[in-house]
Amino acid sequence: MKIPYKWLQEFVDLRLSPAEAADRLTNAGIEVAAVTPLAPDVRGVVVGEIEAIERELGESHGHRLLLCRVSTGSQKFSVICGAPNTKVGVRAAFAPPGAVLPGQRRVETATIRGVPSQGMLCSERELGFGPEPEDGILVLDGDAPLGRDLVAHLGLDDHVLEVEVTPNRPDCLSVLGVARELAALTGARLRAPKIVLKEAGPPARTLVRVRIEAPDLCHRFTARAITGVTVGPSPAWLQARLRAVGLRPISNVVDVTNYVLWELGHPLHAFDYDTVTDATIVVRRARAGESFTTLDGQAHALDDSMLVIADPRRAIGIAGVMGGANTEVTDRTTRVLLESAWFSPVSIRRTARTLGLKTDAAYRFERGADIEALVDASARAAALIAELTRGVVARGLVDAYPRRRPPRRISLRMARVERVLGVVPPRAKARAILAGLGLPTRQKGRDLEVDVPSFRRDLALEDDLVEELIRVWGYDKLPSTLPASVVDVVRHPATLVQAQTVRRALVGAGLAEAIAHAFSDPARAALLRAPGAPEPLRLLNPLSQDASLLRIHPLEGVLAAVAVNVRRQQPDVGVFEICKTYEADTGETGAREPRWVAIALTGARAEHAWHTTDARVDVYDAKGLGEHVLDALGVSGLRPGGVGRLAGFEADCHGTLVGEAGTIAAEFGEVAAAVREAFGIDTPVLAAAVSLDVAAAAPQVPLRYRALPRFPAVQRDLAFVLGADQPWTAAEIEAKLAEAAGPLLRRVTLFDVFRFPDGRRSLAWRLTFQAEDRTLTDDEVNRVQERITEALRGTFGVTLRSA
Amino acid sequence: MGHPRVDAIAQEAREAVAAAQSSAELEQVRVRFLGRQGVLTQLLRSLGTLAPEERPRVGAAANAAKRELEALLDARLPRALEAERRASRARERLDLTLPGRRPPRGALHPLTRVHDEIVAIFAGLGFSVVEGPEVETDYFNFEALNIPRDHPARDMQDTFYLSESTLLRTHTSPVQIRAMRTRKPPVRIIVPGKVFRRDVADMSHSPMFHQVEGLAVDRAITMGDLKGTLELFARQMFGPASRIRFRPSFFPFTEPSAEVDVLCFVCDGAGCRLCKQGGWLEILGSGMVHPRVLKNVGYDPEQVTGWAFGMGIERIAMLKYGIDDLRLFFDNDLRFLRQFA
Repeated sequence: MKIPYKWLQEFVDLRLSPAEAADRLTNAGIEVAAVTPLAPDVRGVVVGEIEAIERELGESHGHRLLLCRVSTGSQKFSVICGAPNTKVGVRAAFAPPGAVLPGQRRVETATIRGVPSQGMLCSERELGFGPEPEDGILVLDGDAPLGRDLVAHLGLDDHVLEVEVTPNRPDCLSVLGVARELAALTGARLRAPKIVLKEAGPPARTLVRVRIEAPDLCHRFTARAITGVTVGPSPAWLQARLRAVGLRPISNVVDVTNYVLWELGHPLHAFDYDTVTDATIVVRRARAGESFTTLDGQAHALDDSMLVIADPRRAIGIAGVMGGANTEVTDRTTRVLLESAWFSPVSIRRTARTLGLKTDAAYRFERGADIEALVDASARAAALIAELTRGVVARGLVDAYPRRRPPRRISLRMARVERVLGVVPPRAKARAILAGLGLPTRQKGRDLEVDVPSFRRDLALEDDLVEELIRVWGYDKLPSTLPASVVDVVRHPATLVQAQTVRRALVGAGLAEAIAHAFSDPARAALLRAPGAPEPLRLLNPLSQDASLLRIHPLEGVLAAVAVNVRRQQPDVGVFEICKTYEADTGETGAREPRWVAIALTGARAEHAWHTTDARVDVYDAKGLGEHVLDALGVSGLRPGGVGRLAGFEADCHGTLVGEAGTIAAEFGEVAAAVREAFGIDTPVLAAAVSLDVAAAAPQVPLRYRALPRFPAVQRDLAFVLGADQPWTAAEIEAKLAEAAGPLLRRVTLFDVFRFPDGRRSLAWRLTFQAEDRTLTDDEVNRVQERITEALRGTFGVTLRSA
Repeated sequence: MGHPRVDAIAQEAREAVAAAQSSAELEQVRVRFLGRQGVLTQLLRSLGTLAPEERPRVGAAANAAKRELEALLDARLPRALEAERRASRARERLDLTLPGRRPPRGALHPLTRVHDEIVAIFAGLGFSVVEGPEVETDYFNFEALNIPRDHPARDMQDTFYLSESTLLRTHTSPVQIRAMRTRKPPVRIIVPGKVFRRDVADMSHSPMFHQVEGLAVDRAITMGDLKGTLELFARQMFGPASRIRFRPSFFPFTEPSAEVDVLCFVCDGAGCRLCKQGGWLEILGSGMVHPRVLKNVGYDPEQVTGWAFGMGIERIAMLKYGIDDLRLFFDNDLRFLRQFA
């Protein structure tokens, strides 16, 4: 909210610069985001008078060019002007040579059609005051002092405070409210605007009737009638003020309601009295299906949760949000019905949101307007309207106020203040602070009783007052202490420990950790969703269609990371992410959040260097990293598992790993071409996804020391040949081999794999034999070796290559 | 002792060893005398053909010669190899400026680094980590935290909804509620995690980011304790000279509430580009747990008080590392990530 500093100074004497005042406010919780000069770009423009039009110089763009004599009181200038409103005797904005206009535009003597023009008469747009289309030079009041600096004359030699008011402080959504805050902070006296209201003619209650049919949504409705008004543009000072706070001047009547809104904080509405049927206001719920056209020309379909201001025939306004086109004040209006009312914040908020109408009025009503101050707002506006429109305010206020609110009183225990803050101001200081904020106090024993005025409905609890005290007294008064020590063991969740283990393992293996958005693109998700997988979770209000689901597949983040890097000339990528997927569930939150480690690799296996080969990553790199992670997590007994559950891998290059429990702990493979293409990746990507939930559930083998072997080991290398038509896998053969070998086999390593040109395969294992109680003899090992070859020949029909 | 024939062989072997110029020649000597077809091997193998009375003498002499030769070779060979390696190095003229064979170097995400640092600091103060779900109910995310439906305070955080009553959590604060409901005071926890706001990504906004929430509830916890704790945190995180200041603010779930700024560590408060000339950097929001929140979890606000704070991990990381665009964290460009290896 924009607050001009000079406007503030009307209500409180401040011996502070605008920047200092802004600091004080910010340090008391009323954040001032910026302090900006109102007219920073205009220098040297003054009030000038067109004394005479000396001659016409012809036409330009349909306008007559006139050579004028302009006086600034002490000096006279010869100035050419083409504006249609150029008239002798008019006082207007004049930029003599040397003046500066917005955009660092320096005014010089220019020659137009061979005639010198000493400076220029300026339009509002040239001065940067208004975005309005050019309608001529800026004409000033006839008594504007000649030669006076224009910026000062218009009150634009001011600074604007951009105040960001938190939702609990609707009382600060006005100049008066901010002034009250500054008064409390500086100790200066607050001067509320003087309201001098002259009433005449018949009593208002004979002119206007008000009926509240929805007292739950409208707690108070007041009306005044002003007759004999002449609607026209507002005076320059008023227009300037409205522009300074970012509002567009419309007409004197409407401008006054906006002015008072800004000044006192209460939203008002002016109806054209003669368009209100029977001069009767009915405050009621809208009828289902009722349609209504607001001031801005938009038609809205209303429903019965919404409150309308109506006459006996039809709705004439959406309560607290926006008035109607059917009762708008126009330049033909001669009588005004002025509304000042209080509406339920929740209802206003729902209505404004449902209809998509964000108005200054709704903004204040939904935060809570002051139900008592609305009377002053009405009087202030009525007086101003009468003054500016030469109208007459009817006597009295029509006030429908069915249920008065009891005043609120809160006890404030000084002991509580100390308990919460760790420090307490002297009681006299506390009383002074509260008094400055407009909160009268009474002493009660050692404590205080505080009356909460109607403009501070946010103060409901004792602790709210504690905050008021420390806020004004200063947060720098808080002591700096540490909580009394609690002896308790710091325990972190297993999930955190797990994540840290994974990170250590994979960063140690040379991968970079990625963190990616948790959103998913439905087009990609369709490719990544396995048949029968749970429904993806869909956002009701996504930022964009391509981020409208929650992630369904663990690899989405790392694939996005691969895509970014490949696109940016970094073809060799090894990344991992510790992430979640999200699926619908019947629990409290409606979601399950499985946890994963996702790994993706592409490009060269090793950094290109003088000592490395340019081998590319393959599926065994991905598998190996999956094993590495599971190993680090203490998942033992890893073996190949059954068919994977995750979609997104090439059908012929997709494997799984299971631990002792038999559930799939990891899946790995080559990412399906269609999937990586959907991510914009055109090179093969190998990936693995490790389920952290499965890993966490795996039985943990406690660490136990095993005595080091005391007797020498014997090594044997055995190579077996598989025919091209023998489908056995390395794992099957190795399992059988280990079984046949028995307990003397300590280690088995598949160390050589190759394929003959005719399709036969050779697999070679290095076997390490060792006994715990003796040195093995050649004979013993030979017998074991014999058993192995027999078993493998018998089971698979594979033969020992060396045999 | 000796035997003339064996002595001759032994002498020949000694000379051969002495004459050998290289490890290869030493190896030839070994083969010639000790190999399968070696002279001494053959001699030992042929003991059976000798006269019985000659066998022990020849055998003993041959074995002695064999041991002597083995010892000689064992002594000469390493020296020969060493000399050859040296010669070879000299020949090849090692270029020690060639890059070394480094193991691959991974990188922790900068947000993880900051996360770990924050967790470590608070663990040192007795705070345990607690985690919670990212998909939350409206109750835990808002209502239990004193943010009723249709309240303008909801505008402070634009929310992604999954249904009328479920949403992506907008802060880590709902975990406060979950934690307090399941434990009795004293409570000292920190809650790191992902949070979501419906903001279009730009330099300073992101629809997903990370927070760490802190919560302490006990019989006598004051706002002074909050200040002291956060001062300690700031000194650990930003250096021993670091200072903080409290500014009043508003959060529906704390009363009183405070924004906390840290003295700009680039300019020491003099004003610079990082702090936008203000001298202070906003780092977190905090306050005393609102009595209504305590009541909502079944605590008695007359018996216990507490404080809470919440900070953005990205914000801290940006300040600490001088990162100027929030989007960099989630792009995962390796040139970015590797800077934090």
